[in-house]
Amino acid sequence: MDGLIKHSKTINKLLSRYGVKFGIYKNGEFKEQLFPFDPIPRIIDYNEFSNLEKGLIQRVQVLNCFLADVYGKKQIIKDGVIPEEFIYSAKGFLPPCDGVFPQKGIYSHISGIDLVQAKDNNWYVLEDNLRVPSGASYPMIARELQRRSAPETFMEHRIIDNRNYADLLKEVMDYVNTGGINVILSPGRYNAAFFEHSYLAEKTGAVLTTGNDIVCENDKVFYIDYDGNKQRIGAVYRRISDEFLDPMTFNEESLIGIPHLFEAYKKGNVALLNAPGNGVADDKGIYYFVPKMIRYYLGEDSILQNAPTYLPYYKKDMKYVLDNFDNLVIKDVAEAGGYGVIFGSSLSKDKKADFIDLLKNEPRRFIAQEVIDFYDLDILDEKGERVPRKADLRAFVLTDGKTKVWPSGLTRFSRNPDSFIVNSSQGGGFKDTWVLSR
Amino acid sequence: MIFIRNLKFCYTLNAEYSGDITHHNFSFMFSPHDTNRQRIENLNIEIADCPKLNITRDNFKNKRYYGLIDKPHNKFSIKVTGNALTGLDIYEEYTSEPVEYSLLKVQTSLTLPGLKLREYHNGMELDKLENDYEKALHIMHTIYYTFKYASGATVVHSSAEEALRLGMGVCQDYAHIMLSVLRMENIPCRYVVGMMLGEGASHAWAEVLCNGYWYGFDPTNNKLVNDEYIRVSAGRDSSDCSVIRGNFYGLANQRQKEIVSVEDISN
Repeated sequence: MDGLIKHSKTINKLLSRYGVKFGIYKNGEFKEQLFPFDPIPRIIDYNEFSNLEKGLIQRVQVLNCFLADVYGKKQIIKDGVIPEEFIYSAKGFLPPCDGVFPQKGIYSHISGIDLVQAKDNNWYVLEDNLRVPSGASYPMIARELQRRSAPETFMEHRIIDNRNYADLLKEVMDYVNTGGINVILSPGRYNAAFFEHSYLAEKTGAVLTTGNDIVCENDKVFYIDYDGNKQRIGAVYRRISDEFLDPMTFNEESLIGIPHLFEAYKKGNVALLNAPGNGVADDKGIYYFVPKMIRYYLGEDSILQNAPTYLPYYKKDMKYVLDNFDNLVIKDVAEAGGYGVIFGSSLSKDKKADFIDLLKNEPRRFIAQEVIDFYDLDILDEKGERVPRKADLRAFVLTDGKTKVWPSGLTRFSRNPDSFIVNSSQGGGFKDTWVLSR
Repeated sequence: MIFIRNLKFCYTLNAEYSGDITHHNFSFMFSPHDTNRQRIENLNIEIADCPKLNITRDNFKNKRYYGLIDKPHNKFSIKVTGNALTGLDIYEEYTSEPVEYSLLKVQTSLTLPGLKLREYHNGMELDKLENDYEKALHIMHTIYYTFKYASGATVVHSSAEEALRLGMGVCQDYAHIMLSVLRMENIPCRYVVGMMLGEGASHAWAEVLCNGYWYGFDPTNNKLVNDEYIRVSAGRDSSDCSVIRGNFYGLANQRQKEIVSVEDISN
């Protein structure tokens, strides 16, 4: 591992040369930031990973079942397992998707499940990301560069090769492809994850496009190449969010979407990865119900645990939240990317009173969670010293005919010693994630 | 159902552009269909210069026509004509499962109440009323007598809360305010776009599910929807029922005009 540490600066330099950057909008201004790489890997041993893998597969399979049910028969609502209000008031529930069935019945092809390890060594799921989870490209390229700079490290340790992500992704696209080429639809170079879009296109052989060179005619979708030739598109791995996907169905103001794309999808003429409407399943309010879903659909206990969560919507939970306010973290279900997260203890007396009023008025809008005592990971600080920092793990789970877990993941850490928020959109860094083969 | 009226309707939408536009994608929804209350005959939809028209239905069973006009043009027009036979029944029986209308109990961004709407709702003292029908009726009366009709005060994307703060608006705002109050009462309701005898533009009102029957309430006119109304489309709020959506390439200003005429030709 010393080899890796020695080459840390070179790797960061190379990452910046390859454009491994993260775009951030702050105060209306677009800034590109490097996504700092830390050379000390997170190491997960074989047995631990096997257990995680089982839990992740179970979770993603159930979330796919749930999406098919919610946009189909709605049995879980009829049976009263989840209050209907939670489903229909979720921002991610998209009425146009009701009764629309995606290719081969798969809704979440690429799922990013965020986990943390607590000091008791247990893993907890913090969040499911089933819309457009990003981040796989960072460990991919970091591993590639490390293998080049310190090949001996990868010979001496039994580390599972993680360079197969692109193959897994291509298999998923091919599996649902309705006949035609695969494309990656990016909003363009000002998107935070543009590096990733271009990198994944290169690695999977899919065509990288923005909405401008795609046209939808009579419910079929075509890519127009440099010579003006039209090529039929069979699968769109879209990296733009639902609301901007098609101005004729969703946000009319969208300039990056493709008019009538949703109709082509609805009629089965093109596959969209991930399916539109998935936001209802990764809603922070729905998260609470995932263990119940697992019981409901599979009759099994949840292998992975949720962070202990309370829904102020329920009177009993509201009382608990008010009684234990200072020990809890409160999250606004409509926000993402680490925004809308409030630590009860951090509020001044006035702000706390205001917030409690808001909570009482809009109980459905918030969830409250126990603060998990993270198992910290070491990083190297500016002086080259090892210091402990909060870190999470985004595991990538891919679904075609089968559900598979990529034996790696994106480990993000907070550079600020006091912060629990590790989101890359808030300026954190990342590490490689080693899964050992035994 | 006994039909007593034959309403001849004509809807036209004319758009003019200050310069040529190309790659014009559009999606159009103004296609009345049969319900228990109305029968549509001789329906004809003409969309100028569109080589191929595609049809889809949304999850509220509304029919949408859409297409792409690639060649340069500076005009675009749509004409919908037909007859609607209407009768005296003012309600429609509801038979599907409750889960099908759950969505209609939830506020949307356009109906979400703020402080003003909550006060407005409290002031109505609806808990004193016996059933959902009585409540809907009272809500309609209250809005009619406290809200002022004024065109140009609100815009297409104004929410119910914004309109109520202004105290004035158009039929869309009347309908949104009514939906917002109904949803605070947990009563399923939907936004309806339609036409009304003798009006110059399309109209909007609210449909409310009361004790197993859908009733149309028109808060703009303080009337129950009857044989003078033709129902065209429905959704959670006006954004689900937008008549036309479109985008195109070209630097051009757009002027759009909508004319609706409904004439009683019953003998």
